[in-house]
Amino acid sequence: MSVLTVRHSARALAAACFVGGLSVGCGGGESGPEGDALRVALLTSGPVSDAGWYAGAYEGLLLIEESLGAQVSHQQTRSPAEFDEAFFSYGSSGYDLVFAHGFEYQDAALRAGEEFPGMTIVVSSGGRISENVRSLIFRLEEGSYLAGMMAGGLTRSKVVGMVGGVAIPPAQGTFRAFEAGARVIDPDVEVLEAFIGSWDDVAAAREAAAAQLNRGADVLVHNTDAASFGVFQAVREAHGDEQPVWAIGMNRDQNDVAPDVIAGSAAIDIPRAFLRVASRFIAGDLPSGAFDLSLDEGVVDFIVNPAALHRIPAELLARIDEARTAIREGALEVPRIRFLEGESGTP
Amino acid sequence: MDAAALQAFLEASVRLGAPLALAALGETISERAGVINIGLEGSIIGGALGGALGALLTGSPGAGVLAGAAAGTAIAGVFALFAIGLNADQIIVGTAATLGGLGITGVVYQSVFGATGTALTLPTLPALPLPGLSALPAVGPALFSQAWTTYLAYLLAPALWYYLFRTRWGLELRAVGEEPGAADAAGIRVRRTRVLAVLGAGFLAGIAGAHLALAHAGTFAEGMSAGRGFIAIAVVVLGRWNPLLVLLASLFFGAASALQFELQAVFANVPYQLLLAFPYLLTLAALAGWIGRSRAPAALARPWPPRSGE
Repeated sequence: MSVLTVRHSARALAAACFVGGLSVGCGGGESGPEGDALRVALLTSGPVSDAGWYAGAYEGLLLIEESLGAQVSHQQTRSPAEFDEAFFSYGSSGYDLVFAHGFEYQDAALRAGEEFPGMTIVVSSGGRISENVRSLIFRLEEGSYLAGMMAGGLTRSKVVGMVGGVAIPPAQGTFRAFEAGARVIDPDVEVLEAFIGSWDDVAAAREAAAAQLNRGADVLVHNTDAASFGVFQAVREAHGDEQPVWAIGMNRDQNDVAPDVIAGSAAIDIPRAFLRVASRFIAGDLPSGAFDLSLDEGVVDFIVNPAALHRIPAELLARIDEARTAIREGALEVPRIRFLEGESGTP
Repeated sequence: MDAAALQAFLEASVRLGAPLALAALGETISERAGVINIGLEGSIIGGALGGALGALLTGSPGAGVLAGAAAGTAIAGVFALFAIGLNADQIIVGTAATLGGLGITGVVYQSVFGATGTALTLPTLPALPLPGLSALPAVGPALFSQAWTTYLAYLLAPALWYYLFRTRWGLELRAVGEEPGAADAAGIRVRRTRVLAVLGAGFLAGIAGAHLALAHAGTFAEGMSAGRGFIAIAVVVLGRWNPLLVLLASLFFGAASALQFELQAVFANVPYQLLLAFPYLLTLAALAGWIGRSRAPAALARPWPPRSGE
């Protein structure tokens, strides 16, 4: 309920600013990192109870509150029409740093950045940047590549499946890398792909997963939010001791979400990434433009599920470790989709 | 498509169609009484969470379905209070019921299971194969090896058809939806009829939500109703406000959705957005070509007693 209260008070303040004709200079632009407590906000376009992408961001926000004594607030926007309103509520009530957690916020972030020059917006997987709008790019494809190797090594049917929410470039990037990883282990492995058009539709994800399982897939990876529960559930129902069927977690360490069927997770340590951004923001050395966080920084990794460890061939684990080292040392470049505007290689 | 694939497709069609059928059958009654409840989505998500919590607390998925039905009815009760009791605009109150239902279920879920959520494993409603019928080739397992909530939808369709078109109570309910003034003059209690119809629709939408959580997904996630309440309202139109056709329309929509997942696997080069739109395009085509002269109940969405100036 505290979230709702914060949201309402932010709106009330915004309204008061308007009524008083003080919209310029009311709140935003004046309170910097120094002085009062740092004010940090998080925007998500799905529920933070997804045990994945948004849950990690919410944990990051709480970590910033705890470690840096910041005053924090979270809003869930339910439709793109609410993006501008949400930025406005934070901008007009003097928030210093706003994490807009997803590619979908990039355009609204640019507009808000112009309107509130004193507010810094960090868009996760954002493709557009400006003076005060930065992009936080997680090189999740590095973890996803290792996850693909795991899938390629575990599959007996030589068919693996990928269930996605919406085919935005960051999600497609993880799938291309997953595919490449699986084919490194076995060039003949067949890779199925489906998108459900939603990040939260558990039933649709379950059906998409079931369709892939029916076509012989025995390792499924997802890149969705709360809908991942449907993928795990479908795998759980198909899983047998004689014929193991595996799921692979994505975005956050999901190994404990369905420990019986998850082989491992291509994970971002989002709390650590957010804390690092906030600390550098306070120190005044937040890099301009895009901020890449990769396997090398320890923010992205593939984490084998400890509960499944004894069922995974040691040789496969060794190959994954080798590849991890090679990626870290720069000897192995993982295929990626570049989506930062102006970056070399963008379409 | 080989036999096994065909059977898998048919099973998926019924799984996807059953919750729609339950919700749409309830909405049919509500709309026949002149109330369009676009808060159906709120009742479905309420039913899903109620079903999940009820099943977890008691260990019995059957008790979960009852809890889900109660939650769906409660949300419909709030709608009825404002839309009928206070004569507020049905569309606005319905929108509020949907948003409120999504919000409240989120708050309750996060307070019980933690803000960052978890993949619950719920006690599920088992498939109950009907002796004989489930042995029919292809359609047998798909139609007759399902959870009992699916059979409830099959039974409700003819029962509600009989109620609407062959009983005096059904006639009275339809009169309320067509000519509330005349119904009132004939001594029918218009508001009471409407409230009961809305509560009944909420009850069924709650069962639809519980079915989604307990028979289909086996888990709960915030927002898992994913627009099914709105699709159910479209299905009512597609089924021409006739419970038998509404059941068929629900299964038709379920089949189109299931086919879409198969098509994604087969046509990897077709943009998936086109395939996702497939059930909706098919529905539009069916509406344009098949629905003919059917029309909505004349007093649909009109408050009673009429506000001054209407």
